[in-house]
Amino acid sequence: MTTLLESRYRAVLRLLPAYYRREREEEMVETYLWDVDRDTQDQSRPTLGEVASIAALAVRSRLGAPGAPSRYVLLGSAVRLFALFAVLIQAAAAVVDLVLEVTWAVSHGGAGRHLLLSQFTDQGLLTAVVTAAQWILPLLWTAAYFALLHDRRRLARASALLAALPNLWPLLGPLAGALVAPHPAFATAFGLLAWLPALALCAAYHRDAPPARLPAGSPGLVFMTCCVVTGASVVVLPAAADLAWAPASCFVVGALGWLLWQARRSDAVTPGGALALAALGLLILAVRVAALYPWLHVPGAALYVGGGLVQTAALALVTVVLAVVGRRDLTTAEPGLS
Amino acid sequence: MSSRNMTRAAFFVLTALADQPRHGYGILREVEELSDGEVQLRVGTLYGVLDRLTDDGLIVLDREEVQQGRLRRYYRLTDEGVAALDAEAERMAAGAGAAKRRIAEGRRATAPADTAPRPPTAPGLAGGFA
Repeated sequence: MTTLLESRYRAVLRLLPAYYRREREEEMVETYLWDVDRDTQDQSRPTLGEVASIAALAVRSRLGAPGAPSRYVLLGSAVRLFALFAVLIQAAAAVVDLVLEVTWAVSHGGAGRHLLLSQFTDQGLLTAVVTAAQWILPLLWTAAYFALLHDRRRLARASALLAALPNLWPLLGPLAGALVAPHPAFATAFGLLAWLPALALCAAYHRDAPPARLPAGSPGLVFMTCCVVTGASVVVLPAAADLAWAPASCFVVGALGWLLWQARRSDAVTPGGALALAALGLLILAVRVAALYPWLHVPGAALYVGGGLVQTAALALVTVVLAVVGRRDLTTAEPGLS
Repeated sequence: MSSRNMTRAAFFVLTALADQPRHGYGILREVEELSDGEVQLRVGTLYGVLDRLTDDGLIVLDREEVQQGRLRRYYRLTDEGVAALDAEAERMAAGAGAAKRRIAEGRRATAPADTAPRPPTAPGLAGGFA
């Protein structure tokens, strides 16, 4: 008869994917229960540490662990590319944002410099610290990007987690007494834009995962190209530039380029690339819509709203195309899904 | 798995299998004993390591037994596993030896002059033998 402890262990093992349970469940239950007295099994529970180790194994076995079915290999590849592309876009946006702001301040003489410095000096210590963190920490996206592509996984993880911290401020700021509280939908979407990639990076670039690799180009060249596209989008239409504008512009251009490249080079298909970009497109689209929505009926914001709507349409179109291509890839990997 | 990136857990699992095939629980206990209790693998961690070592060809399934309706799988080292473990043990021994030598050199360099060992002296004449 099955004891309560065995049932509890089996319940924890349900975190694992079905293919893994089929192969390992009986063996793992035997390992768990080996030296546990049968008379005491109804009073025991799996420890938190055991549950955590199974949860970690569950993530790893779904993201392309050794011996995983092709569907999970594709999923693992997609999550790794999602993290890589998102980190790249964040890195470019952070560098361009800083460069443009400093350039603007310097080119506007004393008034510009005063405006720049007043962010740190005029609104109290907490705001000064938060502003400094919002300036410095996002630069760590760049460190995460290059560390990832040089297979320095720990450095990449730590950099991404630190770089994502400022995106929590729109959520936490109102609790800490910040004067300007953003719309909750935007604060949430903006937080997810940083934290989903950071967590995906931590989960998908596990020890057994293959090293990060760009589908094309060298890390430096791709980064520079992203910076140029991001910067150009802000310079060309500064009235439309908000926190979503630059990453969304970079994504649309990059995703279109990727689709064209994949169409021309059928021998260079990147497994999971379309799924990764579709997921990233959806995330950026959520931020785009959340940033735009509160301004839709504000008088005098026509240029900003117009630019945002055009960008939203472009994002939605590209994301749908990517999702269709991604679905096709998934069906090819696992014919039973169709 | 190259010797350079072998984890501590993988090293102890390979060591646990060096003398005889073992099953999951046997490996857990042996690893704990070999490491003087310092390494206590969780079951999830153990099977992650076993998956990786199997994929790398360092261990294989030796046999399966069914006890009271539950499956018990025994694993053993392959020739590649023995070689990898041997290489890792050599690397660790070389590192430990280098550390010992440096510590000894450091102690000699920082030892005060009056406590430095002196050459043995001949029996003094003053005491005499008379």
